[in-house]
Amino acid sequence: MIAWATAAPAVTAAFAASTVEVVEAFTIVLAVATLRGWRPALTGAFAALGALALIVLALGPLLELVPLQALAMTIGVLLLLFGLGWLRKAVLRAAGLMALHDEEAIFEKEKQRIGAETTSVRSADWLVGIAAFKAVLLEGLEVVFIVLAVGAGRGLLWPAALGALAAFAAVMGVGLVIHRPLARVPENTLKFGVGVMLSSFGVFWTGEGLGVAWPGGDLALLGLAIVFLVFALALVRLTRPRLATAPP
Amino acid sequence: MSVVVEVLQELWSMFVGDRRLTLLLLALVALVATVARMLTARPEVLGGALILGAMAVLADSVAHAARRASR
Repeated sequence: MIAWATAAPAVTAAFAASTVEVVEAFTIVLAVATLRGWRPALTGAFAALGALALIVLALGPLLELVPLQALAMTIGVLLLLFGLGWLRKAVLRAAGLMALHDEEAIFEKEKQRIGAETTSVRSADWLVGIAAFKAVLLEGLEVVFIVLAVGAGRGLLWPAALGALAAFAAVMGVGLVIHRPLARVPENTLKFGVGVMLSSFGVFWTGEGLGVAWPGGDLALLGLAIVFLVFALALVRLTRPRLATAPP
Repeated sequence: MSVVVEVLQELWSMFVGDRRLTLLLLALVALVATVARMLTARPEVLGGALILGAMAVLADSVAHAARRASR
């Protein structure tokens, strides 16, 4: 039986990260579906989901065979690279130094791009299917990495995968009902949170790989997350451009 | 074929999106691992070095991007 305190960080990280990625994939699938209907779009999307499931089924058991210390070190470094990358972008966006992700704009751009490429009915359906396949596959790769990284080594693959599936179901459910890009999802806030969590996981696992015995065991993750959150918020304040004020 | 290329590009950008951040972080981990092996430093010192180092790498990368944006 897995303790909730152990599984919660992995499930939360997988859920939040997957929400961001599924929203991005859904925008493109919706864009191409509005052009040629749901059938080719969903065919491409489900083919990509099948490919992603195969990757998880192939890599998951293999990772369980790697010695724990080597696995911790490798996954820790990869998580640090990935998590700090997300946190860096989220800090720059929150500080106004980088443009926010605009789902409406991406939706329109993708519609125009596919619309311009379609020439005949047959090739149009094929293009739509490929576009949906690529969108789900590319966004899904990040989800797969996060699920494997936060789940492997602790026997948390299934809880992490369930977190990702819950995000998929939630985003698809809402998206199919409102039938519009999910532009109101606070994407940068989610990315900020995921960046904090993955960076914490990264430091934790890298440390374990180097033989660090973290005080409090898994609970140290919470402390690391608080440290990264406070530091990243301070970076946002420090780097936000000062508004020029005219003298009275 | 283009799908495979795009998958590889995506994997590359996942971990090497910012080259400076990647290189500094790998250097940090290599340094801490060397200290761990050669000096048999106390584990809590290694943990502290990792946290502080990761925060320094993040700060450097954000400051670098901020300087470029303000030019």
